Amino acid sequence: MTLARTQPLQVALPTEVTEVRFDDAMEKRIRQILGRYPTQRAAVLPVLWMCQELWGWVSPGIMTAVAERLELAPAFVEGVVTFYTMYQTEPPGKYLLQVCTTLSCQLCGTSALVEHLEERLGIGFGQTTPDGRFTLLDVQCLGACGEGPVVQVNSDYYTELTIEKLDQLLDELP
Amino acid sequence: MEPILLRARDEANSRSISTYLRLGGYGALKKALIMDPSAIREEVKNAGLRGRGGAGFPAGVKWGFVPQDSPKPKYLICNADESEPGTFKDREIIHVDPHMLIEGIIIASYAISANTAYIYIRGEFVEEAEILERAIAEAYKKKYLGRNILTTGYDLDVFVHRGAGAYICGEETALIESIEGKRGLPRLKPPFPAVVGVFGCPTVVNNVETLACVPHIIERGAAWFASIGRPRNTGPKLFCVSGHVNRPGVYELPLGVTFREIIEEHCGGMRDGKALKAFIPGGSSAPVLPADKIDTAADFDAVAEAGSMLGSGGLIVMDETVDMVWALENLLTFYAHESCGQCTPCREGSDWALDIVRRIRRGHGRPADIETLQRISRYASQGMTICPLGDAFCGPIASFLNHFGHEFKAYINAAAPMPEKKLPVLPVRSGRGTFGL
Amino acid sequence: MVTVTIDGHEVQIAEGTNIVEAALKAGIEVPTYCYHPGLSVVGQCRICFVEIEDQPRLVTACSTPVAEGMSVLTASERVNEARAAVMEFLLENHPLDCPVCDQAGECYLQDYSFEHGLDTTHMVDERRTFPGFERRLIGPHVVQNQNRCIQCTRCIRFTEEISGTGDLTMKSRGNHSYIDTFNGEPYDNPWSACAADVCPVGALTVKEFRFRARVWHLEETPSVCPGCSIGCNVDLGHFKGVVYRFVPRHNAEINGWWMCDYGRFLAESLNARDIEQPARTGDQGAAEMSWSEAIDEITRLLSSDSEVQVVASPNLPNEALFLAKKVFADHLGVRVLTPVYRGENRRMKNGQRQWIANVDSHPNSTGARLIGLPIGDQDALTTMLGSSTGPLVVLDNHAHPWLQTEAAAEMLKGRPVIALGRTHTPLSRQASVLLPLASWAETDGTYTSSTGRVQLAQRGLFPKAGAKPASEALLLLAARLGLEIDPGLSPRALFEELAAEVPAFAGMTYRRLAGEPGVPALGLEEVAHVG
Repeated sequence: MTLARTQPLQVALPTEVTEVRFDDAMEKRIRQILGRYPTQRAAVLPVLWMCQELWGWVSPGIMTAVAERLELAPAFVEGVVTFYTMYQTEPPGKYLLQVCTTLSCQLCGTSALVEHLEERLGIGFGQTTPDGRFTLLDVQCLGACGEGPVVQVNSDYYTELTIEKLDQLLDELP
Repeated sequence: MEPILLRARDEANSRSISTYLRLGGYGALKKALIMDPSAIREEVKNAGLRGRGGAGFPAGVKWGFVPQDSPKPKYLICNADESEPGTFKDREIIHVDPHMLIEGIIIASYAISANTAYIYIRGEFVEEAEILERAIAEAYKKKYLGRNILTTGYDLDVFVHRGAGAYICGEETALIESIEGKRGLPRLKPPFPAVVGVFGCPTVVNNVETLACVPHIIERGAAWFASIGRPRNTGPKLFCVSGHVNRPGVYELPLGVTFREIIEEHCGGMRDGKALKAFIPGGSSAPVLPADKIDTAADFDAVAEAGSMLGSGGLIVMDETVDMVWALENLLTFYAHESCGQCTPCREGSDWALDIVRRIRRGHGRPADIETLQRISRYASQGMTICPLGDAFCGPIASFLNHFGHEFKAYINAAAPMPEKKLPVLPVRSGRGTFGL
Repeated sequence: MVTVTIDGHEVQIAEGTNIVEAALKAGIEVPTYCYHPGLSVVGQCRICFVEIEDQPRLVTACSTPVAEGMSVLTASERVNEARAAVMEFLLENHPLDCPVCDQAGECYLQDYSFEHGLDTTHMVDERRTFPGFERRLIGPHVVQNQNRCIQCTRCIRFTEEISGTGDLTMKSRGNHSYIDTFNGEPYDNPWSACAADVCPVGALTVKEFRFRARVWHLEETPSVCPGCSIGCNVDLGHFKGVVYRFVPRHNAEINGWWMCDYGRFLAESLNARDIEQPARTGDQGAAEMSWSEAIDEITRLLSSDSEVQVVASPNLPNEALFLAKKVFADHLGVRVLTPVYRGENRRMKNGQRQWIANVDSHPNSTGARLIGLPIGDQDALTTMLGSSTGPLVVLDNHAHPWLQTEAAAEMLKGRPVIALGRTHTPLSRQASVLLPLASWAETDGTYTSSTGRVQLAQRGLFPKAGAKPASEALLLLAARLGLEIDPGLSPRALFEELAAEVPAFAGMTYRRLAGEPGVPALGLEEVAHVG
């Protein structure tokens, strides 16, 4: 049975996001987001999500554009981006392997999976494989503890993992 | 007990509005919209519904704190941040029956005279956010949301707002800050959100499970709801069981069943026939209980009496193979990672406690460490901090030391002195230019 | 107004005031870090816990308003315990930098640790550090050491609420939170060094002051900034005759708790001195003379038949300008002009968070006006100078930027010039008589700001070498010219004479000016108040 259902991230090169302009389609989405809140500032998180969805990460150029559009100080936006763990401030690999390392998953054998991943990929937490395919991240409780061990690959949860299933998953990813 | 919150679990296509309607969904809404909002608040109060997010505060009472005569718009926020380790029930509700949650949101919003509701959902729940967006779209289509709902003149918009990875945003004032587009730093209380909440307006923040109970209370009455469970601990509860049991998962049971019943009957007993050593009854912030407390009733009051808290109902089960020092290190890693950094005791204390426990486990513990840990635990809790995250890591420290202190002492007794620290060789500089410019 | 009791002392205070301020009124200091009276309340350092009788939990004094009949204990056993615990948490990761940290001597962490902390630590683990952030010049004037930061967020709130530039932020979270600018851009705004002022520890310090002096050596003399017409209040920090720094002094009406970088960093320039003794220049270069010789020579030059002209200076205090009018305009009947240079736009936020703008780049053009000296711009100055070849008295060779140029010296070649100055300009090098002028720091004087306030800048240093303040030089000249005036009048007594004669200053004395924060000049509309 096929395990993998995740598509690779579209990641912009740093040179492509040094300066960023919102085109009409993006502007339309921003206006739609703004319509949900009485203040411009409240649109920061959803607009940052939109940017990360489009470019794969949040560069200083993107933060500047968001700050200008929402009339905020760029330093403020960077403070928000760095507070939350899910906004990537460096170009990630095509697949973010986010391994839950909190208690419930650990009780079900996460450390063996981590060892295997480190060996197979040749990287540790916080690093990306040289071919730019996988970024390995350790994350905190993903909220699926009854089905542990859990790894979130990009947006998708993969649960009740074993070393075999992990290998299958990594082999199948496009 | 008949399934209530998870009644649609075995239905094919359980998430669609047609299934929900077929099972009687949105009937409570029709009933509620012709009631006076104060009557709804009264009904929920009488049902004794206590918040299912962890604090256990009576929902109907919280709704009553909203000043009805305030000219400001009111807001209802559904807390779907679910980041407490060991907790995964809100995810279950969203996966199985999103419309039950939406109906609860509409009725609750109506009860506090709110015309805008936000569902704050943790950033990692991408699939779940999509499920909710689809269900919300279905509800708008059927005129259960939007302008003039069911021609009663009541308007309500519901928006999904995604978080971006911060456990602290499950705390209601940090959640409000996050919706406002800022770093998720908890606010000083008073003022309380019911008076000054999101955008400075009266706001009620309720957990997913709490809101999912609301349609049932309206549909079948407060007395029925109160007949489930025990006095002052009424209604069905979703228990999330994880760890060393044979059948981990979400179980809908009345408040007041014993932990023994949950583990042995519903979860098929301990894995691999190992003995139970310890369990955390309500998500990792709840103090740990030793195996001999297994006959405690799982409700807010009984668990508090036993020295812990029911919290979110996230039951983490540990067997005899678990090294409790390792377990505490794991939990402290979580809290140190999630501390927002605002206030001194939590910001410094969480990291310090983690350093100490790590050092103990690496074989360099000292006898004074136990006392230091207790000292940290005493002074980063009970009002020393802005929000309960301080209590959330101090409770585990105190309870682990209390019930399993011997394991810590064993590490310390076998410890070797720390290796000599090599002092850095400072570069020789001439002149006064020392900025590294 | 409500009545509350703090440690048994009854205090009457406006309703809604926080407990920290109420305690101050009772003479009791509750320790604080994140609280600053000029910034918003965040209640996050947790050091200001106090006990309210009949309340089970301790409360943070900064975020708790007083209520009628409230009884507060600031030093009960519970409070002391809590404070000691918070101190220990703060010191847990704080580096033992006191021997090399500029903040020592004015460091809240040192002070409160000594008063409220434990005398030992339980911490044996590695402190968390921020590699690369230990001595980081983040802008033209501010050096950051993030290891020392206690995350009080005062600096961030300053840039958000006061300077409005929003250039500092907190990045990351938890114990790894750190202060930084957007994308590593320089921290550069007109008031940047104020962030180092508000920083309670040595995490943000001023580059120009780094390692220069220990603050407990410094004498701090209350003074006023000479940089522009706003007249921010400062403390002059000096030691053994050397000026080390300006720091802002609180004034609710004018500058709140703040000052701008331009004014602040004028401090050190006050040490410079080229001109030390009275001198005459000739073909053989400068020849020193005594003051009485110099006065004689000046008297001789002023008795010339050609038209005498006087250039006064809006940088001089009221006392000197008053004398200048008396001696030159009234007694000798010669033309006196005070040239004013508009210069750069500067702004300052006062204690009510209102912006105040400057009208020009001098501390006392308003004083000159009130005293009755004509003021004019550069054109008026050059026109006047072009209309005579007679003796020219320049009361301050730095009175106007044009006066400092080669072109000015060229234009005035051949005219007998009597100049007062501290450092040379082309004009002073060709002066017939050159008098050493005491610096701002060496002069007792009053100045009238463009916001209409008369303020006293106290002398911190004795004038160096042979220097004298302009008022003293003019007193000597006045006596020599036969005016009925005591040449030994102190600036204080001189000001009283001025107050008796000039209606705008009626009723003012040095004592009053030292006690009140800027006395409004009478009959003067407030100018340059930007909303």
